Amino acid sequence: MPVTPPRTLVELFLGFLSIGARSFGGVLPWAHRVMVEERRWMTQADFAETIGLCQFLPGPNIGNASIVLGKRWFGLAGAIVAFLGLFALPFVWVMALGVLYHDFSSNHMLRAVVTGVGATGAGLFIGTAIKLGRALVRKPAAIALVFGCFVPVAIGRVPLIIVLPVAGAIAFFFSKRGWL
Amino acid sequence: MTLLELALYFGLLSLVAFGGMPAVMPEMQRLVVDVKGWTSPEEFIQLFALAQAAPGPNVLIVSLIGWRVAGLAGALVALVATCGSAAVVAWWVAGLWERFKDAPWRAVMQRAIAPLVVGLILSGGYVLATPAAPDWRLWLIAAASAGAMLATRINPLWFLACGGAAGALLLP
Repeated sequence: MPVTPPRTLVELFLGFLSIGARSFGGVLPWAHRVMVEERRWMTQADFAETIGLCQFLPGPNIGNASIVLGKRWFGLAGAIVAFLGLFALPFVWVMALGVLYHDFSSNHMLRAVVTGVGATGAGLFIGTAIKLGRALVRKPAAIALVFGCFVPVAIGRVPLIIVLPVAGAIAFFFSKRGWL
Repeated sequence: MTLLELALYFGLLSLVAFGGMPAVMPEMQRLVVDVKGWTSPEEFIQLFALAQAAPGPNVLIVSLIGWRVAGLAGALVALVATCGSAAVVAWWVAGLWERFKDAPWRAVMQRAIAPLVVGLILSGGYVLATPAAPDWRLWLIAAASAGAMLATRINPLWFLACGGAAGALLLP
């Protein structure tokens, strides 16, 4: 199946706009649907590789993907246009939701509902950690690092600026020795 | 002044968010709630919930915090700082990363980062489910959601809806 990258900045903008507009319950599946299936901007393998890179880079994954792809196709203008397209509608919606919630947040029932949604989101984080952690189960050094991060950060509330360099150095050492 | 602080905090936070924003949620909560007092712990989880439930990248929680602190300007500054600082890195590293595709140090780094990301995302889940004193009701909802996510392939939006209903039943 031949792929054609977006030809104009307008096409790029509209593509990312439609990703942002429809991304209920996670952006990644919609990014895949729009760029690989509907508009055929890139191949499945290319998409997987780009997302893999953006998951490694620091910062919001999908925001980074818009920068990397926009740059690849149109340089700086492309990076800016893709970013704006992706965030334009979600920004408006989350702000509207925030304002609306602020007006009604004295309502106990509504607060309970929203807190329940928050706890569910927290559970999704835990589920994600378990999913990613499955690959590490057979490596004692990796498990030690997971809890070596969890205890100071979650329980001890130690600043990340202390935890990250220490844990990073240990992890790099472990990795060099082939323990990870 | 507040705008500058927002830009600085979120900009720096984003630069250490390896594996994406979930990894820095514990630190964001610590900064916003414990250090700056911009929101209460309960309010933080509610803003997180709104960002999860709204369509779009979940990084938009930074806009909700920015808005709470400094209005619309705060919302824009927080988002641009978070995405902008990471974008600068992405801009420069993307090419480099491709070039060293087969270099041994790339694999060493990837393997080193993986367990740290898992530990940090796990911490994010714990911190968000424990806004104040441990509350078994929030933990129950979080555990059910984690289990459902691992056991099924349903759109997580349904879990959020069920979690909201569970909140209405358990929490008032």
